[in-house]
Amino acid sequence: MSTGTLTPTRPAPSAYRLSTKGVLRSEWHKLWTLRSTWITLLTGCALVLAVGITMGVTYDGDDADIDTIVFTLFGTQLSQICLAVLGILVTAGEYSTGMIRASLAAVPSRLPVLWSKAGLFTAVAFTVCFVTNVVTFLAAQIWLSGTDKELSLTDSGVLGALASSAAALTLLSLIALGLGALFRSVPGAIGAFVGAVLILPEVVTMMPFSAVDTAVKYFPAQAASALGSVARVENTIAPGTALITLALWSAAVISAASVLLKRRDV
Amino acid sequence: MIRAYELTKRYGEKTVVEDLSFTVRPGTVTGFLGPNGAGKSTTMRMLLGLDAPTRGRSTIGDRPYATHTAPLHEVGALLEARSVHPGRTAFHHLMALAHTHGIPRRRVDEVLDLAGIHDVARKRVKGFSLGMGQRLGIAAALLGDPAAVILDEPVNGLDPEGVLWIRNLLKSLAAEGRTVLVSSHLMSEMALTAEHLIIIGRGRLLADTTVERFVRESGTGSVKVVTPEAGLLAELLAEPGVQITSDAPGVLDVRGTDGEHIGRTAARNGIPLFELTPQTASLEQAFMDLTRDSVEYVTPSIAPQPEGAAA
Repeated sequence: MSTGTLTPTRPAPSAYRLSTKGVLRSEWHKLWTLRSTWITLLTGCALVLAVGITMGVTYDGDDADIDTIVFTLFGTQLSQICLAVLGILVTAGEYSTGMIRASLAAVPSRLPVLWSKAGLFTAVAFTVCFVTNVVTFLAAQIWLSGTDKELSLTDSGVLGALASSAAALTLLSLIALGLGALFRSVPGAIGAFVGAVLILPEVVTMMPFSAVDTAVKYFPAQAASALGSVARVENTIAPGTALITLALWSAAVISAASVLLKRRDV
Repeated sequence: MIRAYELTKRYGEKTVVEDLSFTVRPGTVTGFLGPNGAGKSTTMRMLLGLDAPTRGRSTIGDRPYATHTAPLHEVGALLEARSVHPGRTAFHHLMALAHTHGIPRRRVDEVLDLAGIHDVARKRVKGFSLGMGQRLGIAAALLGDPAAVILDEPVNGLDPEGVLWIRNLLKSLAAEGRTVLVSSHLMSEMALTAEHLIIIGRGRLLADTTVERFVRESGTGSVKVVTPEAGLLAELLAEPGVQITSDAPGVLDVRGTDGEHIGRTAARNGIPLFELTPQTASLEQAFMDLTRDSVEYVTPSIAPQPEGAAA
């Protein structure tokens, strides 16, 4: 290995400067220079597209009562896991590898790191989900045209449903990202996400109290199920309320993670 | 300039660092010494703001680390535990850190060259040897062209060439006027690199001194001389402050002067020297004596202690 000498000239004090824009660029760079990002995103897209096309090809008129968008985007149930894992890797992955020490030594105020991660993840996840949803819808319609599930992108509520499905997936995954920052462990956060977000509400609804049933509708996964449909989904809160509910859940988890990030040693 | 004011760190009942105050000045290499578990790494993490002190505070360049507008330009650090995502390449790791401060790509290439890892820059860190990992850590530490560098056990895992490289690098960084704080548990390594010493044991300051003074005061730092004309050389070297003893014919143990003086004196008088060896082992001994009572993990066979004595 060759070794050089250090350049003796130190730049003017103003040459290098920590900035929000810099932290955003850094997090953007970090996101795309890991294979796990590409693998989880592409797997998620492929699952939605594959399931959507399968649903279209095999449709025989049996599921007439299911909303067309819900029917077409059935694969989002699977891609949800991929996106949640990516969200967890973005935060908890830095702790399991020790990268967080380098990140926080460079940005000692700490919060910009978490918020940049959350902001970029939201933008990337939403864009990818929305584009995937539109492509899947158009692909499935090749087979669905001529059936009772024939719809056009320009039909009322279609684009809105495709977008709100993407928003639901993104916000649920943002909760996962926040859990990753809270738990600082990839397996711990995945466990918490599956347990608290996906399974717990199912268990809670077993309880014979109607107040509980109402409360459960406001749980993240249940709120998400109100989205991504042209027709109003039965037994759920209104789509607008669901979107706000999900946004509040993610904001709460990210806020808790922010407080602990400021307090804890790394 | 790095300053610690009564830094204290407790984890529950256990006090890892206690009332630690010291100053690290620019322009010299300061060795931060202590046995394993003495609190060196914890102290370094507190200096970088990664761990919050239970009590006390520290400044870097006269301000708390977190308040600088360009932290990486103030301090570059290599921490003992690896701080790299193994799935990223060396280049992308450095570039990601560089972006935070608007450091150009040119500088990333510079530090890759400097650390001697340009050839593996496009490989994922996963496959790096311990030594290559250390070099990447040092490249990251120098990325922001920092006024101070904090290196935790930088020679760990390096081959002899790497150790020599680190020694020269530390000296040249200090010569450029930077503040250099480097930790080690090896006195012999520090004696070759550092001018100033901060020695801690069990989280407490044991000594804040220079290598020269430590050597003088510990009564070590003798030089072993093997020569066929031991008697003549001993006479020529004799002066106040110089002690000469001889355990065997033709072998002298000289204290109070250095190898250079002995060698020149011998040369001037045509005395052949077969060996001229600074006795750093005794320096290690002096360090062990100093820290004996504060060693965290005692091996019974080398440090016998009465039953019930605090380890």
